[in-house]
Amino acid sequence: MNGVELRDGVVAVVKADCPTCRLVAPLLSTLDVEVVSEDADAGLATSYRLGVEAVPTLVRLKAGEEVERLVGWDRAAWRSFTGVADLGDDLPQYRPGCGSRTQDPGVAEELAVRFGGSQLRARRVELGALEDEAEAIFDRGWTDGLPVVPPTESRVLRMLEGTTRAPDEVVGVVPPDLVHCTVEKVAINAVMAGCRPEYLPVVLAAVEACCTSEFNGHGLLATTYFSGPVVIVNGPVRRAIGMNSGVNALGQGTRANLAVGRALQLVIRNVGGGRPGGVDRATLGNPGKIAFCFAEDEEGSPFEPLSVSRGAPAGASAVTLFAGAGVQPVVDQLSRDPESLARTLAVCLRTVAHPKLVIAFDALIVISPEHGRVFRQAGWDRARLLDELTALLQLPGSELVRGAGGIAEGVPGHLAGTTLPKFRPGGLLVTHAGGRAGLFSAIVAGWASGETGSQPVTREVGT
Amino acid sequence: MSCSVHDVADLERRGVPSVFVASDEFTVAATAQAASLGIDPARVFVAHPIQDRTDEEISALADAAVTEILKALTAA
Amino acid sequence: MTSETVDTATAPRVLLDPTGERVAATVPRAARPRSLDGLTVGLLNITKPRGDVFLDRLEGLLTERGLRVERYAKPTFTKPAPVDLRHEIATKCDLVIEALAD
Repeated sequence: MNGVELRDGVVAVVKADCPTCRLVAPLLSTLDVEVVSEDADAGLATSYRLGVEAVPTLVRLKAGEEVERLVGWDRAAWRSFTGVADLGDDLPQYRPGCGSRTQDPGVAEELAVRFGGSQLRARRVELGALEDEAEAIFDRGWTDGLPVVPPTESRVLRMLEGTTRAPDEVVGVVPPDLVHCTVEKVAINAVMAGCRPEYLPVVLAAVEACCTSEFNGHGLLATTYFSGPVVIVNGPVRRAIGMNSGVNALGQGTRANLAVGRALQLVIRNVGGGRPGGVDRATLGNPGKIAFCFAEDEEGSPFEPLSVSRGAPAGASAVTLFAGAGVQPVVDQLSRDPESLARTLAVCLRTVAHPKLVIAFDALIVISPEHGRVFRQAGWDRARLLDELTALLQLPGSELVRGAGGIAEGVPGHLAGTTLPKFRPGGLLVTHAGGRAGLFSAIVAGWASGETGSQPVTREVGT
Repeated sequence: MSCSVHDVADLERRGVPSVFVASDEFTVAATAQAASLGIDPARVFVAHPIQDRTDEEISALADAAVTEILKALTAA
Repeated sequence: MTSETVDTATAPRVLLDPTGERVAATVPRAARPRSLDGLTVGLLNITKPRGDVFLDRLEGLLTERGLRVERYAKPTFTKPAPVDLRHEIATKCDLVIEALAD
């Protein structure tokens, strides 16, 4: 068993801080057992190797193999095990014992690293003795410009407990280097991003979605445009991991929102090799390229969950990825009917990318609760709103052609006599989030849409 | 000599290609210091001793080292 | 039973590599220019005796090759260069040669 030599005979594993162990201590000294204390490193190693969960535990070994085990103090069982008929006459009949030190929170992963022989395949990088841990990671180019949590083996093992998937399972092929990204590599970057283990399944789903050819992560990264992946989360996982769909949902402060979004970006950067100045040539970029992830507010929403509208099962947790370029405020404090509010959204949506450019860019609308109430009270669901916006965004080509309005940009002149839709079919996504107060919604402008660009992708969150 | 390793590490971090020149007494120490800092800095060694040499001899060391020094500062 | 005590004060700090492992995990050097034409080289004297002779000769050799040379000196060879000196060098020079450690 992994370097610890265990002789044939009986081993008793105990610890000092255990009343049952103290109870049986005099008794153990009369028996032919080797008493091993978890309070010493050697004892802890033995306990780990034997898989001890509670102390005291007696293990009989024969020819190097375990043949019998007792957990806790049970007079009848101990008498049978030891063959001593009057064993423990003066002791109570039964005591369950205490938890083994190997089960202490955080200890298990440390022990796995020290004694367990690792299953992890990532290259080990040993820091120089004089290197500062935080600076060392900056110096190796592994960060997004902000400090990260150093990915030690025990932290990564702890992170991997957040998923049932095997560490060597391939999640996706990450652009631009087209690297086969394993669960383990995602876990390493999730540690760095500041995720807790329970966030990992969401990160895995986001990485999967980002690696699809429809989402076109490669193109998104290499473009000079602003966009980066925006992650919208639906389903029970939102509450389970403490995501924010309310006040300041698109802003700072919520660990789950930011760490999930950041983990995805770190995977792109570190595993995929996509970094600014390298393959990433964004002219300006946007702050969301550090992290942009939020939960949809389903409970107060006039709409069914975004994921369900895109084909995911109702009640399932899912992520939707959208190539987003930032947040454009929409103010409307006076519209009380859905038609007026829809017109507000439509005129604001006209400016996505440029008022005279059509079809090429997608957009995501985030309706806040106060605006959502207007639609809910009128019985408008997502489809109704989208139909209205589509109708409102049929634009006369004469306003859009190059030169119109004294602006060189625009659509080719031969389209002057036509009517053009601002967005391609399916190019508008609607979600619901935000605090309960504030008559504002938001538009997140997208990137190039369709075949050469990026299409939004929804993936269920696994375990 | 170890301070040169620190200086070069800092200048490199600022984006300035740098190289330090040391007597060949320091080849092992330089590597060890660099390893402690997690870096592999450009370095050129010249023949020990330094102190006991005449000006002409030291100038000759510079003549002999200049090609290697410039190579360490140029892209491969 | 074998002892597996680990001295945490000097235990090596090991991290798992988060990258696609296409390149070595060392700290990369700053990118070198293809050509030295028109560049300014900073000559940084660590201020040990005789180093000035070495650097004077280097200055001559570099000037002959068409490089501009700036001369700097550390206040002492016993410590790393002061931060404002490093900043000045980094601002004014494209390349740096530090000499002569003895």
